[in-house]
Amino acid sequence: MKKTSILDVISRKLSPFILLFGFYLVTYGHLSPGGGFQGGVVIASGIVLLLLCQGTERVQKLFPLTAVSFTEALGFFAFLAMGFLGIFLGSGYLSNFLPIGTPGEVPSAGFILVLNIVIGLKVGAGITLICFYLFKEED
Amino acid sequence: MKRIPQIVVLVIFSAFLFYSLQVDSPAPQKARDYLLQNGPKETGAVNLVTSIYLGYRAFDTLGETIVLLVSVSGVVYFIGKKQ
Repeated sequence: MKKTSILDVISRKLSPFILLFGFYLVTYGHLSPGGGFQGGVVIASGIVLLLLCQGTERVQKLFPLTAVSFTEALGFFAFLAMGFLGIFLGSGYLSNFLPIGTPGEVPSAGFILVLNIVIGLKVGAGITLICFYLFKEED
Repeated sequence: MKRIPQIVVLVIFSAFLFYSLQVDSPAPQKARDYLLQNGPKETGAVNLVTSIYLGYRAFDTLGETIVLLVSVSGVVYFIGKKQ
């Protein structure tokens, strides 16, 4: 099937903004609607748009398969490590040990912001990895 | 004639539903009021949903990430065979 230039241009222009909006959802998750899971899915949708419109090889040059799967695994272990740090520095497993700050500012709610970023990267990498495998071309 | 048991079950179930709608039982408000009062103060997150799923119930979120990790490993195992 021949690819039109509309798809080519629009996907390249649109996906940086989708990725930016995804990271905005992740980092403002404690202030506005959004959060790690939703922002991660939006990040993955930006990558999947590139994947559908540009082909597998070009996207996997930009987001290599090993790096994406490494991010997926590392995100999970970072979550666990944050939980175990809570035992030593806070009051229990997954307890808040960072300063809360004033509610309403962007770097506030210490622990929750870090967990949101970790979950966002992990979910984005996971959904991207699933789509990499599902859209793999037979050869 | 075959449908009689199903009709009986349906009538009983709908009668139960109508009865439970009749009974005046307001939703529990204690947890809601507590979270509304103390949620932003205790966790620092203005968004109450985030303050619940990462502040009060972070362990539940850990389980959700495990679910995603297991599903990704399932996909990789079943269709990610090396040639």
